[in-house]
Amino acid sequence: MNEDEIWLRLTIVIRDIFDDESIVVGPETTAKDIDGWDSLSNIELLVAIEKAFSPLKFNTGEVVNLRNVGEMVAVIKHKTIN
Amino acid sequence: MEMEKLRQLQKEGRYPEALRELFARARATDDFSTYMSLCRLRKKIEDAPQGMAGREDLRIAILGGATTDFLELPLKLELETIGRGSNVYCADFNNYVAELLDENSKASAFCPDVAIVLVTPHNIADWPAVGDSPQAVQALVDRASDHWLGLCETFHAHTNCEIILSNLHLLAARAVGNLGTKLPWDQNSFLRQINLSSSRKAPNYVHILDIELLSASYGISNWVDPRFWYHAKQPVSFACMVPFVRNLASIIGALYGHAAKCLILDLDNTLWGGVVGDDGVGGLRIGEGDAEGEAFKAFQEYLLLLKKRGLLLAVCSKNDEANALEPFEQLPEMVLKREDFVAFKANWDPKPNSIEQIARELNIGLDALVFVDDNPAERELVRQSLPQVRVVELSNDPADYPRLLDQSGWIELVKLTDEDMKKTDQYRENLQRDAFQVQHADYDSYLVSLDQKAVVREFEPKHLDRITQLINKTNQFNLTTQRLTRSDVETLARREDTITACVRLVDRFGDNGLISVLSGHRDGSVLHIDLWLMSCRVLKRGVERLLANHLFERAKDVKVQSVRGAYIPTAKNKMVENLYAELGFAPADTDDNGTSYWEIQVQDYKPEPVRITLSADDQL
Repeated sequence: MNEDEIWLRLTIVIRDIFDDESIVVGPETTAKDIDGWDSLSNIELLVAIEKAFSPLKFNTGEVVNLRNVGEMVAVIKHKTIN
Repeated sequence: MEMEKLRQLQKEGRYPEALRELFARARATDDFSTYMSLCRLRKKIEDAPQGMAGREDLRIAILGGATTDFLELPLKLELETIGRGSNVYCADFNNYVAELLDENSKASAFCPDVAIVLVTPHNIADWPAVGDSPQAVQALVDRASDHWLGLCETFHAHTNCEIILSNLHLLAARAVGNLGTKLPWDQNSFLRQINLSSSRKAPNYVHILDIELLSASYGISNWVDPRFWYHAKQPVSFACMVPFVRNLASIIGALYGHAAKCLILDLDNTLWGGVVGDDGVGGLRIGEGDAEGEAFKAFQEYLLLLKKRGLLLAVCSKNDEANALEPFEQLPEMVLKREDFVAFKANWDPKPNSIEQIARELNIGLDALVFVDDNPAERELVRQSLPQVRVVELSNDPADYPRLLDQSGWIELVKLTDEDMKKTDQYRENLQRDAFQVQHADYDSYLVSLDQKAVVREFEPKHLDRITQLINKTNQFNLTTQRLTRSDVETLARREDTITACVRLVDRFGDNGLISVLSGHRDGSVLHIDLWLMSCRVLKRGVERLLANHLFERAKDVKVQSVRGAYIPTAKNKMVENLYAELGFAPADTDDNGTSYWEIQVQDYKPEPVRITLSADDQL
């Protein structure tokens, strides 16, 4: 899966979770930029991403440390290639 | 795509329609992402002006040694699918001990009807040491269960609320492997003992949420996602959140009278494999020797258990009646017999018609029915024509049926009374009474020939379960439709200024059980009737007159001058709107909610004879 595809699919997941079709995300996007992105919906988002990129699984360290969408994409890219 | 349609309805402000759709979707999914999307949409409707005003009738506090915030929206939605609005308070993470003990805590001040207390193995303070003696382990077991039940007891004393206490899931990683099953100090042995101890010692107002079973059913490794426990103290994985919330809601539903009373079952490919009209009795798959036949047999065995514990079974099948009866008469492999069913509709009418007819015959509401049919088209038709009837989403495999029925959450129980276990007999005796009535020229001679005997008693401890049950499930003959918990009833029975009465009725066809309840309180020279209800099984038998006569006797005993009754109209209790007028009460006033008040001087009441002999025989 190339990076463009990852961005595309991730955007769909994020729009779906936060129920807003107009959301545009970039590498620097963080929870603060999106309405409704709190600690609870963050877990929901991670679970939804795992499902969308199955059999992807974040490990415990990543669950805590992913700070922005760019980092998410990097992890997904790394894990879906290997 | 389907979600889009729902969002459209919401945007257009068509809230009732949107909510109906939304509830049906929620019932049909176990997927948490879908469920959360529905929750958010529901929240938008709730926040809209006039979206769902006036629906917040139940107050629910959630406390626990884990994060509980995530429960609020799904629990509200799940309760709304069974017709209850709620106001939910979530305590701060791990503040549950203080919140439960302190009578000035936020949770106490919230005055919940129901408190949910979630604990996990992480909340255990003292684990046994390796090699501890059975006695030492037992002391720790008692310490843990007494600690949690003690918290419940204190909170109950402050708030009088019902409490749902979770038990504990087991641990997938074992220190002594399979040997642990023989060692009391083993962690899983310890957890099992705590669960047993909590169940044994739990008082009436504590209802155990069986996490041990739920987590086993879905797999412990699926139940907990350790990543999110370490990260956010999330006690249940999102994958298992919907069944978790559904179980919580089903206990609350059962507490407030929303559990099903009757299962309406299809026959072909629901109770047996094959179509009796086409395949003939010999061509049906039921019983040993055929994999599918065994699955159908297992489903029938499950249904028989449900029947024995008090759920009524009825048949609704598109068939010629003679064909539909043949398997019951000719196949010894059939676990269920014709007499296990209180109604049997095999005809070519549309099923919604037959279902309405069954509800009328049994005198129960459509919302007390659960429809079980393998045919998706029939299910959809019933869903659309009779939205109050709950429809189980069966798979196309009979091996799944028992589990799917259980997972619906609609057949939950919080209490089992002797009446429940005799239920099918009682309904069958009623059918015999109906047939008997036809033989009599006039109704009065029928009543005389029934040879009715009644016992009237105050509320006594041994009746409280049944009284509470009757209070919470009676809809039609119910003047005030006040729902009370067992603790409320207990309090009522103890109050000095209160008159209570309950009636048990026996006749030549059998025991009808405890079937009517009344209570009133004295205020100066006036006796106010707060509760008056009766099971519809014994309509038109004179019990209401018997109880009125009794009430006025008691009114004289306690020396009040007049009696005042209220009629609070609901969608279902029209049958008693004229009761007070018929008894000679005069209309007094009506308030803004439509409640009418009726009054009569005690001396003006004219007792009328009834065809019931009062018995002092204390079997009640």
